Amino acid sequence: MSAYLHFNSIHKRYGRVNAVDGIDLAIARGSIVAVLGPNGAGKSTLFGCLLGMLQPTRGQVLFNGAPITDAQRRGFGYVAERVALYMHRSVADNAEFFAKIKGHTADDARRQLERVGLAPYLDRKARQLSKGLLQRLGLAIALIGAPELLILDEPFNGLDPALLDQLHAILKEEHARGATLLISTHTMSAIEPLATHVAIVLDGKLATFGTLDELRRIHGEQSLEKIYHRIAKSRGSVAVQNDKAVPPINGHAYEAEGRATLSSARRATHSNIETGVDAQRRGEDTAALPAQLVHDERK
Amino acid sequence: MKSLTLIACKEFSDRFRSGWVVACVLVWLGAICLTSIFGLVQIGRIGVQGYDRTVVSLLSLVQYLVPLLALLLGHDLIVSEREERTLALLVASGVSRARVLCAKFAGGVLSLAFPLLLGFIIAGTVIALATRDREINSFLWLAGSGLVLGIVFLGIGLAISVLCRTRVQSLVAALLTWCFAVFAFDLIALGMLVSLRSPVAAHEIDVLCDPTHVNTVADLHAAYDAPVGERDGATVAKRAAALSWILANPIDLFRAVNLSKQMPTHVPPWVIAGTVGAWLVFALGLSWWRFRRVDL
Repeated sequence: MSAYLHFNSIHKRYGRVNAVDGIDLAIARGSIVAVLGPNGAGKSTLFGCLLGMLQPTRGQVLFNGAPITDAQRRGFGYVAERVALYMHRSVADNAEFFAKIKGHTADDARRQLERVGLAPYLDRKARQLSKGLLQRLGLAIALIGAPELLILDEPFNGLDPALLDQLHAILKEEHARGATLLISTHTMSAIEPLATHVAIVLDGKLATFGTLDELRRIHGEQSLEKIYHRIAKSRGSVAVQNDKAVPPINGHAYEAEGRATLSSARRATHSNIETGVDAQRRGEDTAALPAQLVHDERK
Repeated sequence: MKSLTLIACKEFSDRFRSGWVVACVLVWLGAICLTSIFGLVQIGRIGVQGYDRTVVSLLSLVQYLVPLLALLLGHDLIVSEREERTLALLVASGVSRARVLCAKFAGGVLSLAFPLLLGFIIAGTVIALATRDREINSFLWLAGSGLVLGIVFLGIGLAISVLCRTRVQSLVAALLTWCFAVFAFDLIALGMLVSLRSPVAAHEIDVLCDPTHVNTVADLHAAYDAPVGERDGATVAKRAAALSWILANPIDLFRAVNLSKQMPTHVPPWVIAGTVGAWLVFALGLSWWRFRRVDL
C-alpha cells in the first residue's frame, strides 16, 4: 500500500549547493512528524517542494501514491516561518481572501480567527499586528477548511508561553480530528510532547526517521534533544564546539555571527566547515576557533 | 476560475486603494482635455477642438504615456508579491501557477483599462458638448488602439516582472524597455535604414519612426500611397517594408493605425491582429516559460 505522503528521492540544487540531496521519506496518515535539523539543512526546501513553491531538481512528491496536484494542495494548511500576508489589508480581509481561494466561506475564516484569539483584531491592518498576532493570523488561515495535512515551518519561534500552550492545544485538536501534521522546528522541547515521528535532516540528507519511541530505544536516550545531538554528531554533520554539539535551538548552530540571510548563512556554513576541515587536516585544535563550525570529512 | 477572478479583483482593488486608478483617470482626463484645448496653440487658436484634431494632437502623447503606464503597472505584478512571499502562499494554497499568472495579467488589464477608458469617455463627452462634433470614430479608434497598445506593453511588463528577482531590477528593466521602444528603436531603425542608402527606406523612416511630426507624416503618407490599381512591384515592396517595421514595434503599429484614419493609407487588419497577437503570445509565453519553473 502506498504511503499517504511520500517524498520520493527529492533533490534540490541551488547552483552548486545541494539543498536537498535525495531525501526519501514516507509519512503515514494521521501522524505528527517533527522535521528537525539546523538552519540550512533543507527542511524548508523540502516543504517548498511539497507545496509547489519550489521545483525539485529531481524526484517528486507523491500524495496517496500519485504526483501531488494543485487541487489537493487546496486541502492543505501551511504556516510559513516568516508569515507573509497582504500587510495593507485587514486581518479579516486576509483570512477571507485565502478562505475563498481555497473554496471556503468568510464564515469559515471568522471561525478560525476566533479560535486563535484574533476576534478583537478583525479590522486591524496586518502590518499593525505584533509578531505573535501575525503568527496567529498565519495559523488561522492555515486552519481554514479543516485541512487534512497541516505543514508548519518553525511555528514555535518567538512565541510566548501562553501562545505556545494555545498552539499546542490547537495542534492536538487538529490531530485528534484526523489531520496529519508536518512540523519543522529547532525547539525540541516544544515538539517532543506532540510528535509521533521524528525525521532528522542534516546537510540536505535524511539522517534518520522513525517513531519517537523507536529512536529512544535505538539511541538509549529519553530526551529528543540528546537523540538529535547524538545522531548529528555521529553523522559528522553537527556543529561542534569544544567537543560538544552546539544545540540548534534558535537556529544559530550553522549561522555565522551577524549574518542574517539564509543564503549568507549557507555560504558561511560551507566556508566555516571548510575552515574547520582544513584546520583538522593541519592537526590544529579546532575547539580554539571562535564559534567555529567543525565538520568531519565524510568521504 | 473562482480563484482567478478573486486574484484579479484583488489586484484591481489594491490599485484602486493605492490611488493608482484615480491618478490615471486624472492623468488621462487632463491630457485629453488639455491637448484638445491647446492642440492648435501654435497657430494662435485656443479652445476645445473636434475629435479629428484632438486625435492628431493626442497621438504622440498616447504613444509615450500608454506604454509607460502599462510598463509601470506590469513591472511589479509578480516580483512584488514574490519579494513579499505572498505569491508562495497563493501557490501553497493550491492556486496553479498558470492561474496566478493569468489572474495577475487580468487584474493588470483591469487596472489599465478602467482609468484609460474612463478618461476617454469623460473627455469625449466634454468634446461633444463643447464642439457638437459627431464624427467620433477616430477618437474611439484612438481609445481602442491605445488600450490594445497598453495591453501589449502590460504583457511585456509582466514578462519583466517574472524575469527579474527584485522590484528595483524590474523597474529599471521596465524603464529601459520603454526608452528602447519609444526612442532607441526609432534611432536604431534610422541608422540601419540609412546605412542601406535606400530612398524607400528613408521614406519609411519618416513615416514610421518620427513620432513628433504627425502632420508631416500625414502628408508623406498621402503622397506615398498609390491609388488602388496603380500598384506595381515597387509599391508593394514599399508597403512590405513598412509592414515589417510595424511588426517589430507595437508603438509603430499604433501610430500607423491611427494615422490611417487621418489619411488615405491602410494597415491591413491581419497585420494589426497578427502584430498584437504575436507580441502578446511572445510576452505571455515568455512569462509562462519562466514562471512555471521559478522558485518562489
